[in-house]
Amino acid sequence: MKRYVIIGTSAAGVSAAEVIRKLDKTAKIIMVSDENYPVYSRCLLSYYLANDIPEEKLKYRDEKFFDQNSIDPVLGKKVVKIEPQKKVVLLEDGSKIEYDTLLIATGARAKLENIPGKEKYGVFGLRTISDAKQINTRLNKTKTAVMLGGGLIGLKAAYAVHKRGTEVVVVVKSPHILSQIMDSEPAEIVQKHISQKGIQIQTNLAAVEILGSNQEVEGVKLENNTVIQCELIIVGKGVQPNIELVKDTEVKTNYGIVVNEYLQTSVDNIYAAGDVAESNDLISGNLTINALWPNAVIQGKIAGYNMVLGNTKKYDGTLAMNSVEFFGLPVITCGVTKQKDETIEVLVTKNENKPVYKKFFIKNGVLIGFVLIGDVEQAGVYNSLVRKKVDITKIKESLVSEKFDFAKILPLVNANKEKFFEPEYCEIV
Amino acid sequence: MKKTIIVETEKCLGCKTCELVCAVQHSNTKNLELAVFEQPTPVPRRKVEYINSVIISDGCHHCEEALCVSACMSAAMYKDVDGTTQHNEEKCVGCNMCIMVCPFGVIKRKGNVVVKCDLCKGRENGPACVESCPTKALKVSMQLQQIS
Ligand SMILES: Cc1cc2nc3c(=O)[nH]c(=O)nc-3n(C[C@H](O)[C@H](O)[C@H](O)COP(=O)(O)OP(=O)(O)OC[C@H]3O[C@@H](n4cnc5c(N)ncnc54)[C@H](O)[C@@H]3O)c2cc1C
Ligand code: SF4
Repeated sequence: MKRYVIIGTSAAGVSAAEVIRKLDKTAKIIMVSDENYPVYSRCLLSYYLANDIPEEKLKYRDEKFFDQNSIDPVLGKKVVKIEPQKKVVLLEDGSKIEYDTLLIATGARAKLENIPGKEKYGVFGLRTISDAKQINTRLNKTKTAVMLGGGLIGLKAAYAVHKRGTEVVVVVKSPHILSQIMDSEPAEIVQKHISQKGIQIQTNLAAVEILGSNQEVEGVKLENNTVIQCELIIVGKGVQPNIELVKDTEVKTNYGIVVNEYLQTSVDNIYAAGDVAESNDLISGNLTINALWPNAVIQGKIAGYNMVLGNTKKYDGTLAMNSVEFFGLPVITCGVTKQKDETIEVLVTKNENKPVYKKFFIKNGVLIGFVLIGDVEQAGVYNSLVRKKVDITKIKESLVSEKFDFAKILPLVNANKEKFFEPEYCEIV
Repeated sequence: MKKTIIVETEKCLGCKTCELVCAVQHSNTKNLELAVFEQPTPVPRRKVEYINSVIISDGCHHCEEALCVSACMSAAMYKDVDGTTQHNEEKCVGCNMCIMVCPFGVIKRKGNVVVKCDLCKGRENGPACVESCPTKALKVSMQLQQIS
């Protein structure tokens, strides 16, 4: 009986476990997590914080998930080290778990800025259910909350806290919000929309110190020497992969744990998937972490297959893509979303009244990315063009058309059957 | 088994009967005259699309490797035991992650959640669109699924 050990019970770990169980009915599967909580979706934490959903709905799988799949859970225990030579993982409490094949799906944690005063009570990241609960408690004592960072997490947290009736200021170092995923023109549309709903946004400003006596947050000082009085600070400054457990082992790391196209690490019987794994980017081909839920699920799945069947399934690469909706304004971005140089052609269409804004990035005739605001329904069709890397020159005009839909790419599908190989493309005859 | 709806483009006239019966079938009242007054307005889960002279009626293909299911962060989108892709509106938070990845663009927004073709699950005569298509351009197909 083979022993599979999976570290991490989130997106990547769960999808791997399900595939492993499907392919091997008798294997022993052990899942370890330092969080003592049933399988939940951390993406929903901002909805939970906003009171849009009850705690019950955070559950991404049934309470009986482990039983149903005959998995031995080891919850609330941190893995401190793995020993590839001995094929064991060491837990915080000194105990050991042996494995034949190991999956590292330890994800990432919120980066807390190195800013004086960050240890004061009232400063949180938003990554775990425990973070969300602590923020919840602190909200009772909060009149004003400050978000450090104008990325997706910062803005989602801002929405949630605002919805709870708290005054919110988002402090952004860059000239505009969402600077990681779009340039200034679309970002300003989103910024205007959010500001109109009552969230204050201050750009081009960094926080320099968190103030407060008695170890409790009372305010934050900005680089222009102004002080915002606040009781709660949520830091949304990106994430950092949890790779400490492979330190000083043969498992190769860069920023994350480096994996090949089979999601295998530099050690044959150790795989990695999700936010912790650094794999080839679908567009650039460079080692990248696109720390996103869909990437984690698909990587987990492929890792699971390969752990059971040997390296049979290839991963076509990670893709940067995001979807959010702020106060009724949907936004979807994918792939390359900034014009880095002149070799990238840009197409834009907009209607300021609605507002609707669409921007497309094309290189050598191939769609490499897009930003959609206001009208996102056909995002997946554009997304498929990015993934399939086909020459879109023939249909370029219709990309920006309001009437764009799947039918418009039919000529490309028919001309590139080897790329559109999935059986579903044969269902239109 | 893979269950889905196949469209024969040569037979499709673009009359949009499928869109209409779909919207009514998935309305609260299931009655055309009353459904038009519902809020949010009933949404068809099929869409008649065209390019040049080719017309198709497209809807969820119930993909084997359903990208929407992998992308859904609330497990609202799921694979049913019969292999079809189904959606649980109760769990949906309307994040549009599924819309972001659907290669056919056939997941629609309705109020705060999304909706898609459910192959008229539980309907005695099968999908309403297939039954009502005047030219029989739509048909339910069952294929043996490849073990991947
Ligand atoms: C508030 C919020 C909103 C988000 N919204 C979106 C969104 O809209 N769309 C999107 O695509 N992504 C979103 N994300 C990102 C998404 O949640 C992650 O990409 C996804 O969770 C990654 O899954 P994972 O399985 O790789 O790792 P994680 O979810 O980070 O899980 C890691 C697991 O490993 C365990 N673990 C870590 N270290 C150890 C250790 N040493 N020992 C034992 N166990 C350990 C953890 O307890 C956890 O169970 C959001 C994230 C947050 C926090
Ligand atoms: S919109 Fe609903 S079904 Fe689609 S991914 Fe989000 S939660 Fe899942």
